[in-house]
Amino acid sequence: MSAIQFPAPDASILSRRAEIVAALARLVAPESLVTSEDELRAFETDALTAYRRMPLAVVLPSTTEEVAAVLRACHAMGVNVVPRGAGTSLCGGAIPQEDAVVLGLGKMNRVLDVGFADRTMRVQAGITNLSISAAVGAEGFFYAPDPSSQLACTIGGNIAMNSGGAHCLKYGVTTNNILGVRMVLVDGTIVDIGGDAMDAPGYDLLGLVVGSEGQLGVVTEATVRILPLAEGARPVLFGFDTSEQAGAAVAAIIGAGIVPVAMEFMDKPAIEICEAFAKAGYPLDVEALLIIEVEGSDAEMDAALARIVAIAREHGVRTVRESKSAMETAAIWKGRKSAFGATGRVADYICMDGTIPTGQLPLVLRRMDEIVKSYGLRVANVFHAGDGNLHPLIMYDVNDPEEARKAEDAGNDILKLCVEVGGCLTGEHGVGIEKRDLMRHQFTQADLDQQMRVRAVFDHGWRLNPAKVFPLDGRWTPASEAA
Amino acid sequence: MDAGERGGVSAALLPRDEAELVAAVAAAAAAGTPLALEGGGTKAGIGRPAQAERSLSTRELTGITLYEPSEMVIGARSGTPVALVEATLAERGQMLPFEPMDYRPLLGSEAEPTMGGVVGANLSGPRRVVAGACRDSLIGVRMVNGRGEAVTSGGRVMKNVTGLDLVKGVCGSWGTLAAFSEVTFKVLPTPETSATLVLHGLDDARAIKALSAGLGSPFEVSAAAHLPGTVERVPKTLLRLEGFADSVAYRAGRLRALLAPYGSSALLEAAQSAVLWRSIRDVTFLAEPRGEAIWRVSVAPSRAAAGVAAILDAAPARHLYDWGGGLVWLALPAAGDAGAAVVRAAFAGTGAHATLVRAPAEIRAVVDVFEPPAAPVRRLTAGIKASFDPRGIFNPGRMYAGI
Amino acid sequence: MQTRFSPEQLRDPAMQASEKILRTCVHCGFCTATCPTYLLLGDELDSPRGRIYLIKDMLENGRPATPQVVKHIDRCLSCLSCMTTCPSGVHYMHLVDHARSYIEATYERPWHDRLLRRVLGALLPHPTRFRFALLAAYFGRPLKPLLRPIPAIGARLAAMLDLAPSRIEPRSTMEGPAAFRPAAPRRARVALLSGCAQPVLKPSINDATIRLLNRLGVEVVLPKGEGCCGALVHHMGREHDSHAFAARNVEAWVREMDGEGLDAIVITASGCGTTIKDYGFMFRDDPAMAEKAARVSALAMDVTEFLAKLDLPATARATGHVVAYHSACSMQHGQKITDLPKTLLKAAGFVVKDVPEGHICCGSAGVYNILQPEIAGQLRERKVANIARTRPQVIATGNIGCIQQIGKGLADAGNPTPIVHTVELLDWAHGGPMPDALAEAGFADQPERAPAVAAE
Ligand SMILES: Cc1cc2nc3c(=O)[nH]c(=O)nc-3n(C[C@H](O)[C@H](O)[C@H](O)COP(=O)(O)OP(=O)(O)OC[C@H]3O[C@@H](n4cnc5c(N)ncnc54)[C@H](O)[C@@H]3O)c2cc1C
Ligand code: SF4
Ligand code: SF4
Repeated sequence: MSAIQFPAPDASILSRRAEIVAALARLVAPESLVTSEDELRAFETDALTAYRRMPLAVVLPSTTEEVAAVLRACHAMGVNVVPRGAGTSLCGGAIPQEDAVVLGLGKMNRVLDVGFADRTMRVQAGITNLSISAAVGAEGFFYAPDPSSQLACTIGGNIAMNSGGAHCLKYGVTTNNILGVRMVLVDGTIVDIGGDAMDAPGYDLLGLVVGSEGQLGVVTEATVRILPLAEGARPVLFGFDTSEQAGAAVAAIIGAGIVPVAMEFMDKPAIEICEAFAKAGYPLDVEALLIIEVEGSDAEMDAALARIVAIAREHGVRTVRESKSAMETAAIWKGRKSAFGATGRVADYICMDGTIPTGQLPLVLRRMDEIVKSYGLRVANVFHAGDGNLHPLIMYDVNDPEEARKAEDAGNDILKLCVEVGGCLTGEHGVGIEKRDLMRHQFTQADLDQQMRVRAVFDHGWRLNPAKVFPLDGRWTPASEAA
Repeated sequence: MDAGERGGVSAALLPRDEAELVAAVAAAAAAGTPLALEGGGTKAGIGRPAQAERSLSTRELTGITLYEPSEMVIGARSGTPVALVEATLAERGQMLPFEPMDYRPLLGSEAEPTMGGVVGANLSGPRRVVAGACRDSLIGVRMVNGRGEAVTSGGRVMKNVTGLDLVKGVCGSWGTLAAFSEVTFKVLPTPETSATLVLHGLDDARAIKALSAGLGSPFEVSAAAHLPGTVERVPKTLLRLEGFADSVAYRAGRLRALLAPYGSSALLEAAQSAVLWRSIRDVTFLAEPRGEAIWRVSVAPSRAAAGVAAILDAAPARHLYDWGGGLVWLALPAAGDAGAAVVRAAFAGTGAHATLVRAPAEIRAVVDVFEPPAAPVRRLTAGIKASFDPRGIFNPGRMYAGI
Repeated sequence: MQTRFSPEQLRDPAMQASEKILRTCVHCGFCTATCPTYLLLGDELDSPRGRIYLIKDMLENGRPATPQVVKHIDRCLSCLSCMTTCPSGVHYMHLVDHARSYIEATYERPWHDRLLRRVLGALLPHPTRFRFALLAAYFGRPLKPLLRPIPAIGARLAAMLDLAPSRIEPRSTMEGPAAFRPAAPRRARVALLSGCAQPVLKPSINDATIRLLNRLGVEVVLPKGEGCCGALVHHMGREHDSHAFAARNVEAWVREMDGEGLDAIVITASGCGTTIKDYGFMFRDDPAMAEKAARVSALAMDVTEFLAKLDLPATARATGHVVAYHSACSMQHGQKITDLPKTLLKAAGFVVKDVPEGHICCGSAGVYNILQPEIAGQLRERKVANIARTRPQVIATGNIGCIQQIGKGLADAGNPTPIVHTVELLDWAHGGPMPDALAEAGFADQPERAPAVAAE
């Protein structure tokens, strides 16, 4: 694919490569600096592999001070920096550019402090999402936002993308579960934003930083909220003959005053793919599947389920299957959370992430199917039904340039559709490069200008992850304002 | 049409739609007229006295613009009364999750609080501990920046990470960044019932331990407060449970057993519980005498009691805790600096921050009302102010001098 | 992932197989999180996804391997944790095997590395030479402080000496070739892999296996001509040598299968099991061997897999000890045997504990602990600490390499908990002698129960 452009690399930076590398070498241990072409190659992309750019160098610092030193040096030399966590971004958020240094947080993966009484925890930015929960699981706590990639993605990446997950229906997304960050600004200044109290003084800078896609600063530490684990949790599988029925059941459940912990939707192709991988016992004879999870004591779960099942029956549910054991529960979620990867067994895919008002679900599902078919491609749908966050997986052959282009066009059509019906381009994966050029479909120039002005407060020279989020043309800078 | 024409020269600007709002702001921007931005004006007494020439109120920008119960979303123009939004939601068994407090009892103000004001102050209430504050439920804002440009951020869907999250940036900005024209929230079903477990006679430190134990349990405590000896004859430690009746009953039993080491407990039924939490939400315990200064301290619960003890040692204060100890309300004599030095010293180094919520204007003009930020944060704060409002026309100086 | 191979490149069957593997990888990064080297080093290049990328680049360009690529591939433990994690079903094992032989073919290692690898390759697979080397190591131990500072190779030599046991076991009385017939009526006939290093280091493991199987009515043969499975040299990329070893075994077993017949080929070292189960793939393009190798792979079984089929009787003594079960990587990731050994131990009356971070390698990984002593040492410490968290009385595992590696870690930490092979505990519970390691740790033997009286 090649539809998405990168800014032309700055030739003067490229020509000073040796000098830049030498400066970095003075700041970190040799093991923390990657410069050979062979080795740099492995950093040229993230989970949006259709796009690749070799970085100038990769630095893997071990402390906040090292991060600060690297940023200070890059700032002084006028070098762009692309922060990187685990490189699981699906929108190309961590893809480098030729004139940029990649700053990887992989070595900073420790828990720093746990405060059970305050239900908070301080961690380094490179720790994986799941390791946070694992560190406090034995004491009955967990970190709530659970992107499907939680095994691998870092909290720093989650903060940058404001990541969500299946259980965010009840517990909120990243921005609702972070109390503070330690962050290094583009010039190397270390700032603490927020803290460990419930709210912070002054402007909600933390709210701006979460979801800023590595453009406001490099997060090196985070204080997160941890929550008590429920007494029990039970996912239930509801199979329907049509997507419309499933969608109507979701609306009716919420209408009845019930907000389950999670409500996940899969269509037939997705069910087949996930079942083949996880052997979770998903029904294969239905067109649409809802995984609905309830929490609490056994009696509470029974009561909640009785209400939900009654509603599902009114909407013509065909099969209802409860998880009967921890192993089954694990398999059910493993299947759902592996949906993207498991699709990889079948074909290459691109994963969309638009969000729509849930009332538009039947219309959008139908239109999406038409769109994808019109390009002669196939689609599998998994999504967070409770909040309308869609994940159509458009399947194609990446080695066939023609098909790759079609897949990308189909994806763009779908996202535009999401915006048309009142939704947005991305619900949890971020804009990155992937949706950058669609931003004007959702925002006016005034909207974007205001965002870019705020961005400039943190990084007026567009040095941090500059190829992302905002369309390359018409970028606001202090200079463009003056002109 | 110029909203400013109505009601005489010095009267408030009262735009009735977004176009009028844009025009009013653009005119003020062009003329460099500083504006006091407000909704109903019920919280005008909070903050440093603003150096405005004119006030602009959004209270005529009213009406619910969107309500989809099955999508759990509601939108309203910024001047819509909070009461109207809450009543509309209640008809369909829903509510604003963050339980916004009503400052009128504490500030002795009247008029009608508006949704724009809720956003400007990032209000919340006892349910903050589980449902977050206003900023956590706010999903979309239409606003006018200090250049007179209409700007939209967020939208009407619950999950949205498209672009920089300006929604958060402007929530809690006390009218210093933008004038809101419309705000959209996600909402939740109202719990079928509620109940409150009451423990008696605990000192502050033990009470907060009990609250932490409750909040750290799987029994979904939805509010946790402590009314100490300075406001109640017998200290009361309170934990609220909400949900379906069968579930509340079950969890009340389990919670009681869990907290048995803290003494025996009583259980308040839904109606009593509602009244009690409303008073905690609105801090009516400290409303009188009106002459006292009121402080609001946000702190990690485990460090709250020690800070309060230091204050009590130094000054005749009354106090109460909400958010499991994470929010301390204090009443101190309004004389001198209204206790600023004592309060800030007591919590120094704990990561806490204190806001002077109620005090005579003369004191608010000289004391830091909002916790002064560290140098780099102050730089960012000034930058953000300038990015929205380069000419400094919105509530200048209300949060910080020069911002 | 997109790949860029030319049609000529794809004419090579090995390249074709690797291309197919690369195409299934979606670069999702899930595998990085469960990779021991990424956990320690936090560098994409030392993660499965990074290695896959390095391999892809190396193979696509058809260039000789560079020192940088070799460094990161060498650091891979071949623990295959990444394969367990991968939702896309990427066959990392075949890919890295291909990369290793590609490296051996195109890359000239520094002299010391070559030397060390040659020595290891020459010693380990041959029990007699290995026993002799251990003796030498035993006497060489006092030299360790002198060795360590030698540049390039000192640390590895020291590691080698470190791992050599402090006691040289006497030869087993049950060595092959031989057949051990059960006293009870015969219900099955199996071949037992005697292997190479294990019978030298811990002859008690196969002894216990033979006793236990005989007691259960299974005849055990140690056929003539069978020996090292080839895994050790295979992991060093020496495809030619490993194929030679494998071919010898295939021939030996096929002779037995076609002769008196075999119900299973039983393996007590899971590292070997993984390799033998892969013989079919190894010889897929060799018309003379393909079918035979596939037959052997189909019959290969870990001893716990075979025992699980036998429907074991009640135990002969009371047990009840708390056992931390360490699942070897080759067991859980290579052969996907996870619960079976634990089920058997539980059925034999032991209280079985799962080790936290159980999916992470102990650092043994064939000769890895000699070639990469630093990483191996860190993983060993981490593993021993995790095991200690379960407060076990005894540690059980199904792979000789792990026994040596963890044993060393325990000794370093001053932790007296004994580590034994799962089958040694099972043999004991079912009437065999108490494992030596337990006796040395001061365990009291349990009396055998009175023979079961017929039910009333
Ligand atoms: C199979 C699969 C499933 C997924 N499922 C979900 C899902 O359910 N929900 C969801 O929300 N996302 C999902 N994602 C997307 C992705 O995992 C998230 O966006 C994740 O938060 C990225 O984290 P990361 O550590 O990999 O960050 P990276 O991909 O390395 O980086 C992502 C962005 O964050 C920036 N960044 C990283 N670290 C820092 C830091 N310390 N400071 C500043 N900026 C930083 C980078 O510059 C980049 O812009 C999925 C991805 C995959 C491959
Ligand atoms: S988990 Fe599998 S698909 Fe994902 S990067 Fe690793 S090998 Fe590739
Ligand atoms: S085999 Fe083990 S060490 Fe090698 S890449 Fe896979 S997980 Fe990492």
